[in-house]
Amino acid sequence: MFGPRVDGRNGVSLVPSTLEHFKLHLPWMLQPEVGRFWGPRFGEMTTERQEERFKKTGEDQTQFMWTISYHDEPVGFTGIFDIDWVRRDGESGIFIGRHDLFGRGIASEAVRLRTRFAWQELRLHRVHNWIAHANRGSRRANEKSGYTQMGLFERSYFRSGEWYDEWLGEAFPHTFPEEG
Amino acid sequence: MRVRRAHGVWHEPAMPATWKEWFKETAKEKQAVLWSIDADGTLVGFALAHLWSMGNGFDINQLVIDPDRWRLGFGFDAALALHRFVFDYLDLRVMTADVRADNAAAKRIADRLGYTEFAHGHEVHYRDGAYVDELKLRMDKETWLERWSSEREYPPLAADATR
Repeated sequence: MFGPRVDGRNGVSLVPSTLEHFKLHLPWMLQPEVGRFWGPRFGEMTTERQEERFKKTGEDQTQFMWTISYHDEPVGFTGIFDIDWVRRDGESGIFIGRHDLFGRGIASEAVRLRTRFAWQELRLHRVHNWIAHANRGSRRANEKSGYTQMGLFERSYFRSGEWYDEWLGEAFPHTFPEEG
Repeated sequence: MRVRRAHGVWHEPAMPATWKEWFKETAKEKQAVLWSIDADGTLVGFALAHLWSMGNGFDINQLVIDPDRWRLGFGFDAALALHRFVFDYLDLRVMTADVRADNAAAKRIADRLGYTEFAHGHEVHYRDGAYVDELKLRMDKETWLERWSSEREYPPLAADATR
């Protein structure tokens, strides 16, 4: 499923993804700055594959996917995936495709909107994620919305001649910061 | 064979036809490996694991023993055989398993094999009206070699075997 429009601060919104947004995924993910902390990168990088992914994502009842919009321009994606509706638990993820906009707080605001939606609209009990331990920006963005570390998976994947660890986080409604 | 708590909630009736369909679909997955556990010619359980996409690790998803055969050591024996296959045949570097914190039998097997905890998820599973934590465990090939190198299926080849 695609999530509804959720407006946030400083020009950041979560909006339902369109096929045109999905097509932006390919050029974004092929930029070295964007995939800096990803594990092995392989797969079918074709428009047809993106069309198929778009259709499957829309039909999938266990995920909520958004395009991140910054001043009404698509700049990345975020979502909650593999939702178990009995446990009320899901795995979250985010990526900013426009590396020229890194450092502006877009990810932090997108994570805040996504996490608030999980508690206030989906009534989830828990959200968890895996983040490259070296990706301090992403970890910090998630921690600001109440994610805390539940573990560390050492030597998770090999990249550019060295091992990368992964940080495992979890968040609950009671860890979400009070909003002023 | 009976099973108890072997699966999450299904959207179909928990009957043999559903299990057959599940086995059929699982067998189609390229990264999945499914075993029956046999003891003296009798089916006593099954195990399911998934190979990582780049093929250097393996996640154990299920290792189920018929409740009528619990406490006979079949779980450990099956797990040991499975790990021998993973480390001595597939030459993978790590195995992982997620275990419910209240599953004492699974924890005992994991401890004995040499698993260590790398994460503790809080209130992950829900059943019997309450949440239960989840332990995320790993075992590296180095641990296998330290603890279980004598468990090879065949003794090492003799030095002159290929002369």
